[in-house]
Amino acid sequence: MLASILASGLAAGAVYALVGVTYNTMFSTSRVMSFTSGQLAMLGGVFGSMFMLKLGLPVIAGLVLTLCCCAIIGIVTEFVAVRPVLKNLDQHLYVLSTLALALMIQQVAAIKWGTEPQPFPKLIGWGNGVFDEKFWLPVAACIVTIIGLEYLYRRTLVGRAFLAIAEDNFAARALGLPERNLRIASYALAGVIGGIAGFSGGELLLAFFANGALLNFYGFVPVALGGLGNNRGAIIGGLALGLFQQAANFLVGGVFSSVAVFTLFIIVLLAAPQGLFGSATARRV
Amino acid sequence: MTSVTATPARKEAPASRSVLSQVAPLIGVFALATLLPFVSNDYWALIGTRAAIYWVLVAGLNLVVGFGGHLAIGYVALLTLGAYATSILVAGNVLPPVPVFVALPIAACVGALFGVIVGLPALRLRTFYFAMSTLGFATIVTQIALAWQSVTGGGIGIAGPEFSAPFNTAWGFYYLCLGFAAIATWMSANIGHSRFGRALIALRDAEVAAEATGISKPKTLISIFLLAGALAAIAGGLFASLQTYITPDAFTFDLSVLFFIAILIGGRGSIMGPLLGTVILTILPEIAAPLAAWSTFLYAVLLLLIVLAIPGGIAALLDFRNRRPLASNRAIVPRPAALADIQRKSAGGRTLSLRGIALSFGNVRAIDGLDLDVQPGRIHGLIGPNGSGKTTTLNVISGYYASKGGTMRLGEDALPPGMPALRAARGIARTFQTPRVIGEASVLENVMIGGTIEGQASFVEALLSLPRSHRDEHMLADKARGLLGVVGLETLADVRADRLQHSELRFIEIARALMLDPDFLLLDEPAAGLSGDEIERLAGLIKAISRRGTGVLLVEHHADLIFEICDEITVLNLGKILAAGTAAEIRTHKEVVSAYLGA
Amino acid sequence: MLTSAPEPLLAVASLESGYGKIRVLHGIDFQVEAGEVVALLGPNGAGKSTMLRALSGLLPVNAGYVRFNGRDITNATPRESARAGLVHVIEGHRVFTQISVTDNLLLAGYDLSRGERAARIEEALAFFPEIAAKRHERGGALSGGQQQMLTVAQGLVRRPRLLMLDEPSAGLSPVLVDRVLDVIRQLRKQGIAVLLVEQLLEKALATADRVYALVQGHVVLEAPTSESHLPERLERAYFGHQAQPAS
Repeated sequence: MLASILASGLAAGAVYALVGVTYNTMFSTSRVMSFTSGQLAMLGGVFGSMFMLKLGLPVIAGLVLTLCCCAIIGIVTEFVAVRPVLKNLDQHLYVLSTLALALMIQQVAAIKWGTEPQPFPKLIGWGNGVFDEKFWLPVAACIVTIIGLEYLYRRTLVGRAFLAIAEDNFAARALGLPERNLRIASYALAGVIGGIAGFSGGELLLAFFANGALLNFYGFVPVALGGLGNNRGAIIGGLALGLFQQAANFLVGGVFSSVAVFTLFIIVLLAAPQGLFGSATARRV
Repeated sequence: MTSVTATPARKEAPASRSVLSQVAPLIGVFALATLLPFVSNDYWALIGTRAAIYWVLVAGLNLVVGFGGHLAIGYVALLTLGAYATSILVAGNVLPPVPVFVALPIAACVGALFGVIVGLPALRLRTFYFAMSTLGFATIVTQIALAWQSVTGGGIGIAGPEFSAPFNTAWGFYYLCLGFAAIATWMSANIGHSRFGRALIALRDAEVAAEATGISKPKTLISIFLLAGALAAIAGGLFASLQTYITPDAFTFDLSVLFFIAILIGGRGSIMGPLLGTVILTILPEIAAPLAAWSTFLYAVLLLLIVLAIPGGIAALLDFRNRRPLASNRAIVPRPAALADIQRKSAGGRTLSLRGIALSFGNVRAIDGLDLDVQPGRIHGLIGPNGSGKTTTLNVISGYYASKGGTMRLGEDALPPGMPALRAARGIARTFQTPRVIGEASVLENVMIGGTIEGQASFVEALLSLPRSHRDEHMLADKARGLLGVVGLETLADVRADRLQHSELRFIEIARALMLDPDFLLLDEPAAGLSGDEIERLAGLIKAISRRGTGVLLVEHHADLIFEICDEITVLNLGKILAAGTAAEIRTHKEVVSAYLGA
Repeated sequence: MLTSAPEPLLAVASLESGYGKIRVLHGIDFQVEAGEVVALLGPNGAGKSTMLRALSGLLPVNAGYVRFNGRDITNATPRESARAGLVHVIEGHRVFTQISVTDNLLLAGYDLSRGERAARIEEALAFFPEIAAKRHERGGALSGGQQQMLTVAQGLVRRPRLLMLDEPSAGLSPVLVDRVLDVIRQLRKQGIAVLLVEQLLEKALATADRVYALVQGHVVLEAPTSESHLPERLERAYFGHQAQPAS
């Protein structure tokens, strides 16, 4: 039983953590929290199933194509829902524009893909029982992504440019960094990370259009807990959330586990609005 | 040479005309709606009933989302609550069965309570976080409805309440729902056009300024959440009756989206806009049957278009008055003499004194042991290089920052540190370094906001449009017009504030600050961005204000203005007092000159 | 035979700019010749930082024009104006604290090729041996003064023809202030023009060839630093029309 909770908890938690990282990646270069993050993860599963099962492509091709499509959707988010409203200081507009885009994506998926969850193929076929692929694949994907991001931010110029823009947008602009291009690139990157989340979690969550809304919320909780823009906090928060949720599932039953998660979310937010690891918000006056 | 637009004598406030122009279109819509049965069939009765029920909910939600700016996306939770509460009470699953017209008010109370619970996080959470929390609520309510089988019937559902004759026919029920919709419209319009509605908008668009005028965010929001929750629950009860049988599936996220988008398509701060939005969104899937599956997609596309192209929504499209061009060479010509007619002479007597104020931001000592006295009827200038702590001092007096040690006194009474919303009642008003004005509201409304806390009528009195609320409105409007005349902007009273020039916004802030007849007026760089002429007129205005007994603390960079009108001047440098004395003493003070020239 | 005077390196005419509705600069005329050091003085709120931002493209120009090196760069982006040789070092020693000193300099050379970038970084660090010694430390580990030197070094990576420095001495100890002014003198020897916004009057007059005084968005004084009684004339300009009584 414990092994079961651990396996499913870490797996679900890894998916939530990756969606949290998606939120953070979009946020860090634009100060926008985008509703499309969960939808990108949903598309990771849907596209994966479509390319591999419906079109019969091999796994690698399916993965590459899925990530490309998700990157494109990420870029579309920047063009359609973020750039046009950035000039407006009104906070509410970007919430609405990304919400509208997320709804559009969700509806198209529901109509074209269908409202029933579709199966997601086995990718590699190692392990069974508690060590089944559907449990270790998301965790492995999460680790690979973290390592990849570390390399990006520490070793490449583009990564360091991302960090610069995230820390001090004005100074970065003044220095002559190509702000717009970097933002577009980071949205493409966010798309890829979301796609990885959905693709690796495909066997766990199936290719289901409703995953978008689900992951929007469950992927946001790690961000709220860990502090906006804080990837380490998101990973820890995501894994903790996954474990907590699966434990609640086993102990109290499915319905009340979501009540438990939500209550925890509200309590933490009200007690520490900037998250458990986040920093205080800027001066108001 | 700028031409001066003539300032006509103060007209009698045409209050009745503007109220009528707001009410007439609403009456028109309902008049048309009553004719519906005579021109169509039972099918459209259903559609019309549904639109009316949705509007009952949206009328309340409009105050939360449109006026308040709190993006409560998951409001279907309250519809669900109201629907189940009414059905359970009528069916008698928990308590003995209750007639439906008794069940509805009880459900309204339940809804009001949960409206506050769902809404409370808005006091602490930022926009996106709050939106997420309401989504979470919606999920929970549905889950509980599914799980609590003994009471709600779980997945199988429960029968909706039935009404007796004459409301049990299609058209009978239609008129009942239309009646509720009319009442909901009336109530929400009453609040929207009252000081509570303006307070909401102020909290939405200029929260810092709203606090400075004494508006209490918790009190305002809780009243609105109670109302919106109650209306949503009543809508839920009616909805359950319309459906005749409800299951948790009936309360989809798509419904929440419809409510939410109807408000945003309609336009924030309007009643008519969201009403039209609700009707349009309800009818849309019916008009083109093949589009039904794509209805939510279309709602989302509409929302995106509105956000990108017409953020003001339908209300902005219908706002013909604000399309009329404004004169381009407007001059601001204050009439300080008129101040005597409007403002109470300050009782005076109490001095605002600061002793030993200290404040640090991290390692930086922003203020390091400051002593300052502002006496009634005198103008005290506060100058110094950038970063010397001038605006920070104002912010400490206003209560946005709490000083570490030291005291602030108003006469004999101590001013509590922090708690900016209490300053207005103590007689301290201020303007801001960058004008904090509500762009979407008219100039008159912006100034009226300054006097919000002087209103006598309670929320319920405003809700029911009782006489005391009308007296409040007249009082506030008259006083606001008077003050606009004093600052020289009365011809622009009905213009949207975001169409005005920067200098005009500065004078509007001053008019707003004077609404409560403050004993002390704190001015933060009021001359920044003003032309030479305007600075002259500003000087005259400030002098007139101080002659009425108000003590003025003026933070400024414009040396000429400071030396011309100030009785005392304090010079700050790096958070400490460099010099203090009369204008003549300061102007020739060697150290002051060097501080400015940086020797 | 008439020959027109050579066009100045930087020529600004009738410049108007501001923040949204707030107009700060009201018709500025201004120029900087190649290789000269010009100081821009004025009380707070006069528009000095606003001017630099309008020149480099951080703020929109509402009227007038900016010509640099013979080309019109009005409303060019900061990236484009930096490429053209007009480099702006903003105030407040804003370095990127989470990455190393070397990384900060690498970012300054984002548009250059790899080899070129490394060479330019060494060039820039040659002016600031104190920073060179700390090249692997995080930006956040430097003191305020060192961070200020780093921002100037970032500007130098671009090999500017005109380097604009916004209050480089703010918050620095007198020793470090002299360091920075020393670097400006070295730049002048190499033929690099410098536009310096400064609060410290005497230091500015000592380093610059010419001064402009800006008050409330208007140029009220322009003079070579060799002219006499400049401090008194500036004082009068800052404090308004009334003449100061003899001190």
